[in-house]
Amino acid sequence: MAASVAVPRPRFNGKTHPPARVDTEPLWVRWLLTGLALAFLTGFLLIPLATVFSLAFSKGIAAYFDALTEPMAFAAIKLTLLVAAIAVPLNLIFGIAAAWAIAKFEFSGKSVLITLIDLPFSVSPVVSGLIYVLLFGLQGWLGPWLAAHDIQIIFAVPGIVLATIFVTFPFVARELIPLMQAQGTEEEEAALVLGASGLQTVWRVTLPNIKWGLLYGVILCNARAMGEFGAVSVVSGHIRGLTNTLPLHVEILYNEYNSAAAFAVASLLAFLALLTLAAKSFLEWRLKEQFTTQQQENPS
Amino acid sequence: MSIAISNIVKTFGGFTALKGVSLEVEAGELVALLGPSGCGKTTLLRIIAGLDAADSGTILFDGEDATRRHVGERQVGFVFQHYALFRHMTVFENIAFGLRVRPRAQRPAEKEIQRKVHDLLSLVQLDWLAQRYPAQLSGGQRQRIALARALAVEPKVLLLDEPFGALDAKVRKDLRRWLRRLHDELHVTSVFVTHDQEEALEVADRIVVLNQGQIEQIGTPDEVYDHPATPFVYQFLGDVNLFHGRVHEDQAHIGEAELKARGQLNAGASATIFYVRPHELEVLRRPDGSQAVRAWVRDVRRVGSVIRLQLERLDGHGTLEAEMPRERYEDEVHAVQKGEQVFVRPKNMRVFSEHHHGSGVKD
Repeated sequence: MAASVAVPRPRFNGKTHPPARVDTEPLWVRWLLTGLALAFLTGFLLIPLATVFSLAFSKGIAAYFDALTEPMAFAAIKLTLLVAAIAVPLNLIFGIAAAWAIAKFEFSGKSVLITLIDLPFSVSPVVSGLIYVLLFGLQGWLGPWLAAHDIQIIFAVPGIVLATIFVTFPFVARELIPLMQAQGTEEEEAALVLGASGLQTVWRVTLPNIKWGLLYGVILCNARAMGEFGAVSVVSGHIRGLTNTLPLHVEILYNEYNSAAAFAVASLLAFLALLTLAAKSFLEWRLKEQFTTQQQENPS
Repeated sequence: MSIAISNIVKTFGGFTALKGVSLEVEAGELVALLGPSGCGKTTLLRIIAGLDAADSGTILFDGEDATRRHVGERQVGFVFQHYALFRHMTVFENIAFGLRVRPRAQRPAEKEIQRKVHDLLSLVQLDWLAQRYPAQLSGGQRQRIALARALAVEPKVLLLDEPFGALDAKVRKDLRRWLRRLHDELHVTSVFVTHDQEEALEVADRIVVLNQGQIEQIGTPDEVYDHPATPFVYQFLGDVNLFHGRVHEDQAHIGEAELKARGQLNAGASATIFYVRPHELEVLRRPDGSQAVRAWVRDVRRVGSVIRLQLERLDGHGTLEAEMPRERYEDEVHAVQKGEQVFVRPKNMRVFSEHHHGSGVKD
């Protein structure tokens, strides 16, 4: 991981020389490359972000808060929080279960399971939304049966939750699998020999060992759950005050040329992104620390 | 607690790790399972612990069938090669773990736990480390904490999987002597796995030599070292020189040399292989009748107080290694140098009966 390596050099004339520099590019190349990266970052990330906030406040602070507290916007915020509150805990449980099975046990079909977990990453969100329409929609496979029993999934909250669970499925599992594989099963075995039950082993040994990685996965999962547009757009039906999440609400406002309100709502999502970024950096730092102590423990 | 293992078979896919192993361990004994890597010794240990299940065969603890007993109910302590300490817990909590996870009715009071953990910490002489985390300890300290953790639940059997395998040579030696003293104090039935014959010879009451999923020999350290049952045991417990030759009327014929047969030579055996340890080879400057094999010195190496000679037989039948204390090298062998000629006479030879020939014999 270390970018520069200190190379011991032979002594000449009894004098010690500083270690050789590994980055040998001339100064102007380094300035040019750094400058390019910064310009790219500014153009594609910082300026749009600043635009979001400046347009959000373009009609004054009062208009900004009006846009957020207006009933339709408020309903969208509530729905988004509700969807995340259902999808994230469920994917937390699915993710731990899948990672546990994959990292700690040997079974046939393991690689198929890993591929399936990755599937939502490789499928376009619109397609994943469409899958649910084809399954549960009125003309879908289960549509007539659902209609007969008066259950509505598509163009209703359940469909939005299902689509969100689908697109956010890999986050927790993907984060935990390598961590759990690196930790192996010896600590769990030690706990079992000492008389701990299966539940005690998971609760007292496995979970504490993965808590930072787990939190990291949950934060990414949550960010995606709140920000998901494509899949949710297909199944939602865009009913204002009922099936509109924050990203969909932004789109509607924008299409109505109400750009100040659209950007005000969008600034909420941007703010969420910044929070996520901060939490992510903190957790990455914790995880790195954990990995280094792990390597110290098992130098082989 | 005594352990009786009979006819344990274990396969992993197409690989048979244990081919019907039977073994009895008496109460209070310290037994070593010794063998090269892949011989099945760790698998056997894990089956005794209940961490793996045997395909067939039975395990009795004190005469009671424990084959299907759950790992948590076997009352064994297990010490892992890489310690397996709980990394997010302090040393204190690691040792207390086995007591804290007990059902409420059997769980000792907090005060009792405190007392017990501190007793164990002083037993392993690390009481000042109670509030540290495993990552802050050295390898030797971690292994002693792992041992204390295993002892906290007062196991009837202590199982150790290559307990010193990950430590450096000096710590290893200290720790295995310490383990022996600890065992003499506690008298808990113990089985430990090792691939290091020196460790097994020094620490164990009895040694079980395993090879390719089968037991080659069971015996005290002296028995397996002095009276190895098979060529494999002989070779695994130390360095060895091989002489191809024949036995005729109590005389061993090796090349041109005729040697008086001392030791256990089976009369009547024809072509045979003689096994001689490097320190049992006598090196002479002058011929002693026809009783020696001629060789020239290829190399002389000093390893501390011991001299090792690399010899090449003049009749072209390969190389030999002789080992002797420095004093003898200087006095009796007159500090023979590279390139000089010597006469080699085995002081002690072993012959294994015919059906063992070829099994594990390197030539």
